Amino acid sequence: MERLFDPALHSAGLAALEAALNRGLSLAPAGKSELTTLSGRVFALECESPPFIAYLQPQDDGSVRLMSVYEGTVATRIRGSAGDFAELAGSQDPASTLINGSLELVGDSAPLLELQAILGRLDVDWEAPLVDTFGDVAGHQVAQIARNGFSFGKRVGVSLSRQLDEFIHEEARLSPPRLELEDFYRDVQDLNLQVDRLDSRIKRLRKRLDQAG
Amino acid sequence: MSDKDTTHFGYQTVDKDDKAGMVAGVFHSVAARYDLMNDLMSGGIHRIWKRFTIELSGVRRGNAVLDIAGGTGDLAARFADLVGDQGRVVLADINDSMLRVGRDKLIDGGHAGNIEFVQADAQDLPFPDDSFDCITIAFGLRNVTDKDRALRSMLRVLKPGGRLLVLEFSKPGNEVLSKAYDTYSFKLLPLMGKLVANDSESYQYLAESIRMHPDQETLRDMMEDAGFSRCEFHNMTGGIVAVHRGVKS
Repeated sequence: MERLFDPALHSAGLAALEAALNRGLSLAPAGKSELTTLSGRVFALECESPPFIAYLQPQDDGSVRLMSVYEGTVATRIRGSAGDFAELAGSQDPASTLINGSLELVGDSAPLLELQAILGRLDVDWEAPLVDTFGDVAGHQVAQIARNGFSFGKRVGVSLSRQLDEFIHEEARLSPPRLELEDFYRDVQDLNLQVDRLDSRIKRLRKRLDQAG
Repeated sequence: MSDKDTTHFGYQTVDKDDKAGMVAGVFHSVAARYDLMNDLMSGGIHRIWKRFTIELSGVRRGNAVLDIAGGTGDLAARFADLVGDQGRVVLADINDSMLRVGRDKLIDGGHAGNIEFVQADAQDLPFPDDSFDCITIAFGLRNVTDKDRALRSMLRVLKPGGRLLVLEFSKPGNEVLSKAYDTYSFKLLPLMGKLVANDSESYQYLAESIRMHPDQETLRDMMEDAGFSRCEFHNMTGGIVAVHRGVKS
């Protein structure tokens, strides 16, 4: 695959991401120890547009290593466009998106689903670094404020999203509701199949006419 | 002095027998502040260049790795983690001051058991034939008096299928970048050396030795001439640095 970035830039980006991931993992000891079961396996994430590749390898100590180059055996390779990866990242059901989406899977899918399950189960203890910095009492209070703030923000976000959805679909009628849209797509697909069948029928009749003539 | 007996020491032409001693003088002088100066001079990017070199090395559990001109042990420390208890890493440097700093830093960092420290000349490596799965030399080849002899010596001690990685300053591909890099190297670098390490001459030599080092294509040809196959290079940071890789067939 042609390189889009200078190797130094590519490595620097992965180094920063690796540091952030490992910092997060260090706050989730249970998930970290689960990751050791995948130690040594290499997962390739291959984005075709824009061209970008990263290899992820869980280590013996439960940390992860990100690489821009790997020439050994890859357990699972996931290939797709940036949009496909974004869809996976934002998906409510990543396993279903992986299997039914436009991403191409090469190799053994079992370790990948296991990795996805471990990451999905990660219970990151965000309070630990705050307690380390501010002490038990102040750290817990800061964490509580942050948690309440986050929870409030999440509730507001969900409520806003629902109200916006209702306004767009039901009140302003700017866009059809999801079910209507799915029904329309099904009709288009049926029509497509019928046209294909009609086309085949016409071809067959034309062939018969040619043979008769 | 005939051409055959001379070599470059920065922009100076010196007797071949004198270069090793002059280079040793430079590194004795900078050893104590080597890591600090590397971080200052490169803005920390040297760590990224080394990271990419390690990725390209393909070193894995159980491998034997030789890090020549290993200096303060940045590569050796990472290799020691990768090869594990079953593997072996040899940190070699011709300069005892650099080797001492590297050894102290690695032991203080908890790296022991699978690392050996050897004072060795890259031109005459004191190891049996076919000993290592991977050899690296980072920012060291340009200081070697006879580079062809050093490359042949590395080929000898590599196992068949083993990889040599040469990480070294090179020639920027872009004219504008090249001009900016020249200004930085000859104006700012010696000034930084003066202020931080109180040694502008050593850093003047650094800038000059980089300019006298073979460019990407020439070094690749030298590796092929020494007997390496599948030789290739990857430019980094616009070609300011390149990592060359060759395989012993």
